Order: sequence, then C-alpha cells, then structure tokens
Amino acid sequence: MNKVWFVTGASKGFGRILVSQLLAQGYKVAATSRDAASLAEFSGNDFLPLTVSLTDENSVKSAIEKTISTFGKIDIVVNNAGYGQVGALEEVSDKDARENYNVNVFGLLNVIRQVMPHLREQRSGHIINIASVGGMLGGFPGWAIYCSTKFAVVGLTEGLREEIKEFGVKATVVLPGYFRTSFLGADLSVTESKYQSVKDSIQWHADLDGKQPGDPEKGVAAIIEMTKSEHPPLNFLIGKDAYELVPEKLTSIIDEIEEWKELTVNTVF
Amino acid sequence: MDNKKTWFVTGASKGLGLTLVKHLLAAGYPVAATSRNAAALTEAVGNHTNFLPLQVNLADDKSVAQAIQTTVDKFGHIDVAVNNAGYGIGGSIEELSDAETRTSFDINVFGTLNVIRNVLPFMRQQRSGHIINISSIAGITANTGWSIYAAAKYAVTGLTDVLAQDVKEFGIHVTLIAPGAFRTSFLTADSLVITDTPIADYTAIRASHAKYASMDGGQQGDPEKAAVAMIELVNMPEPPVYLLLGSDAYSRALSKLEQLNNAFKATASLTKSTDY
Repeated sequence: MNKVWFVTGASKGFGRILVSQLLAQGYKVAATSRDAASLAEFSGNDFLPLTVSLTDENSVKSAIEKTISTFGKIDIVVNNAGYGQVGALEEVSDKDARENYNVNVFGLLNVIRQVMPHLREQRSGHIINIASVGGMLGGFPGWAIYCSTKFAVVGLTEGLREEIKEFGVKATVVLPGYFRTSFLGADLSVTESKYQSVKDSIQWHADLDGKQPGDPEKGVAAIIEMTKSEHPPLNFLIGKDAYELVPEKLTSIIDEIEEWKELTVNTVF
Repeated sequence: MDNKKTWFVTGASKGLGLTLVKHLLAAGYPVAATSRNAAALTEAVGNHTNFLPLQVNLADDKSVAQAIQTTVDKFGHIDVAVNNAGYGIGGSIEELSDAETRTSFDINVFGTLNVIRNVLPFMRQQRSGHIINISSIAGITANTGWSIYAAAKYAVTGLTDVLAQDVKEFGIHVTLIAPGAFRTSFLTADSLVITDTPIADYTAIRASHAKYASMDGGQQGDPEKAAVAMIELVNMPEPPVYLLLGSDAYSRALSKLEQLNNAFKATASLTKSTDY
C-alpha cells in the first residue's frame, strides 16, 4: 500500500480509529490534532503527527506541505474534525454558532483550499468530508446550528465533486447515523434550553450516549472500503439508522413538494 | 385576508425583497424592511405611512436586535419575518478566500440566524408568527462553480428544517422558500460575487458561469408572482416547511431527491454493515 492519507481531528472518535486501522493496513498517515501530543499512541515511519489549528489557514498550509515533504504526496484527505452543538437556535449565541461553523465548515474549507493545488497537479486524489445524517435531515430538536453546518458540508461537497471532476479528483461526503464515539459525551457543546422539546432532546441524546447502535470500528472499515471503489459515491450513508431515516425524510420532502406543486409552478411568466 | 399582519423583510432594496415589499404595501400591510443603505431603500420603495425603512448590518447581532425593537415599537408586533437578504458567490473552493467565504456566510447564514434569534422572543410571547427563510434551489441541489453558495444555502435549508419543529409548540410557523431562476438582478454584478483570482485549470467552472451569465434576463420565474405566492403562503392555516418556487425548482428538486434515494440503494450493504 503506498497511498498517503491526511486525516483531521485524529485524537479521538472516528479519526483515531481511522488512523489506527490505516496504519495496521500499511498505509502512510498524516494526522492532525490541536495538540500532536494527543496522538502519542501512534508511531513509526508511516506516521506523521501534526499540531494544527484548522481555523488558521497558514497552520493548515504548513501541515499539508509537511505531509508532502515527508511522504511525497497526499492521496486521500479525510475532513473528520467537527463537534456537535445543541440548544434552541435563539439561545445559542452568535459567538457559539460561529464557533461551530469555524470547525465544522471553515476549517474543512481551509483544508480543501490548501490541498487542492497538490491534487490538481497530480491529477488524482479523493476528498472525504465527514458530515452526519443531520446534514440531510433536520429531525433533531435543538440541533439547528449543528445540522446547518452539516447541511453546508453536504452542499459544498456536491459542488466540489463537480468542480474537481476534470482533474480526476473525487469527493465524497459521509453521513453517519449514531455511532458509539465521544460525540454525545465530552465533545458535545450544550446550551441549556427553556424549550421543552429541546430539553427532551438533550435528555434523549444523553441517555443514548454509550448505547448508539453504530460500531465506529465497522464505520471506519466501511469508509476505507468505500475509497477502494473506482466510482465512490457522492453521498455515503453509514449505519442502519441512517439507511432508514434519510430516505424516509427525502420521501416526505418529495411528498410535500408534490402537495404544493400548484403554488410552485404558477410563479413563471 | 388579515390586513393587520406586520411584516419584517431583510434585503429589500432590490430583487425579490423589493417586489415583495411593494406588494405588501399596496395590499395595506405594515412593513419594516432592512437594507445596508436606508436611503436606497426609501428611494426604491417610496414613502408610505405603513413603511419603516431600516438601515441594518445583518451580520451584527446588535444592529439586528435594534431593528427588530424599532419595528415592535412602531407597529406593536411582528407577525412575519422574511430572511431575504443574500447574494450569490461563484468560484471554486480553492479560488475563493477564507475571507470571501466568511463574508458570504455573514449575510447568507449568520444574518438569518441573527434575525431569528432576535425575533423569536417576541413571536414566542405572542404565541404566533411565521419565519420565512429564502434559500434557493441551490440549497437543495448544488451547481458547478457555486460550491460556497450551495454550502450557505444548504445551511439555511438545514436550520429551517430543525427550527420548524422547535418552535411548533409556540404556534410559530417556519417555511423554507427555494426559488429557481427568477428575473431579478440576482445574476448581475450587483448581487453576485465572482472570484477575481480565477485559476485557468478550472474550465468546468468557467463554462458554467458563462452559461449562467447568458441566462440573465431570460429567467422563467416572475418575481411579481413569487411575491403573491409568499403572501398567499402566510395566510394559510397549515403552511408547508419546504416551498419551491418555479417550475425549474420543482423539476430539479424532485429529480435530485429521487436520484439520491436511488444512489443510496447502490451502497446499501456497505451502509448497513456498520452496526454492533
């Protein structure tokens, strides 16, 4: 295996498991974290730990340059860093909303902006953005800001896929359902709510923590498997819950669109 | 029709926002409308006793809070808030800087959030209201050369979807409007930012942008009819969460959503292999 992977947010969750499986399978891996010391469990010539602030474009740029000077190229980029924010929209401050966007959207864009010159030059590569089922369905009370960041990632990946196709570079957005990581635990940013539906949602998710149906080891294995395809999908769901919830939601949107068709189509000249 | 409903419309000095405000005033509704430049707004709309022009920086939470308070002070309440302000941004992700990207999100996303954050306390108290977020068909299906715009509009789609459920318990309606191509100033330099650092390699983007530019003036959508549809929407007892405007939006959204559901089937076994 001579493929070189670049993985953000690698100190925990999906990112950490991905690095572990990739190294075990003989891939070369550059991995970022806010503090490379948190990546100390990994070592060897195939591993490059990087301290990176993803919201700082210069920091991202030097991480990508260091990866290329170490391994010669980057084949697969995984934008994995991200975190959940829950709280009623009016209760989440502008500052907290922007902070969620800083990591989940603008940091991811910094990586794409800085890696694209290299991928264009080599006329190959695959950018994988980790979103969530919350990037296609909004059925999560109190998760408006988080879902909007993930919808943004779904939308930009769809645009990206078309704009880089001519260079032989691929793009995929992964939409996991509920997986047993620290996402609903220590990593979650919670804004206390006065809304009953949001309070209930926060409690429901706290109760789910530790009991999520998705196995992150298998989720990561599925992502690695997906990258071996000649024609990887644009949108890749992982988890049985994702496979049920997303199509169900899209079908309900289709039904609503049909129900209101007359009002929709009567607005043309 | 309840002629007393008070409307608050952002980005009203041109395009769909301006057309909507004119229709509302002609029909006798009280209207507060925002623009970066109040003078331009007054010039475009004219003077009406029922009209409150407001100079607002939507990216600034405090400026928005003040505008909403001024509206409530003048008209007593806000029944309908229309987040209409927004602009298109074209270029590859690589060609658009972090600053250009964030500026587009300031208006297209964070401005919308600021309005919602500040108007909801009033709507919750009155146990009624309707928030309308103007997204775009680009918030449901992305086009080549408009990735950042798609990101911002998808974001609006997502937050609207969640918000609609969250405020239902207060009797507040939320609707996402996704227009197709309407004959407004949207495709002119006035409403569009195109990268000024193009990279020659991106030929698909240049071709796509040229195609869009050639459409200007020939868009199928009639903004007057869109305004009428929006007023009709607000007077419905059970308005939809998703409302497309334009036959192009209708066919593109349907084909996209059906395509997605079919594509998921192709990877079904791998998707379903990940549970404990």
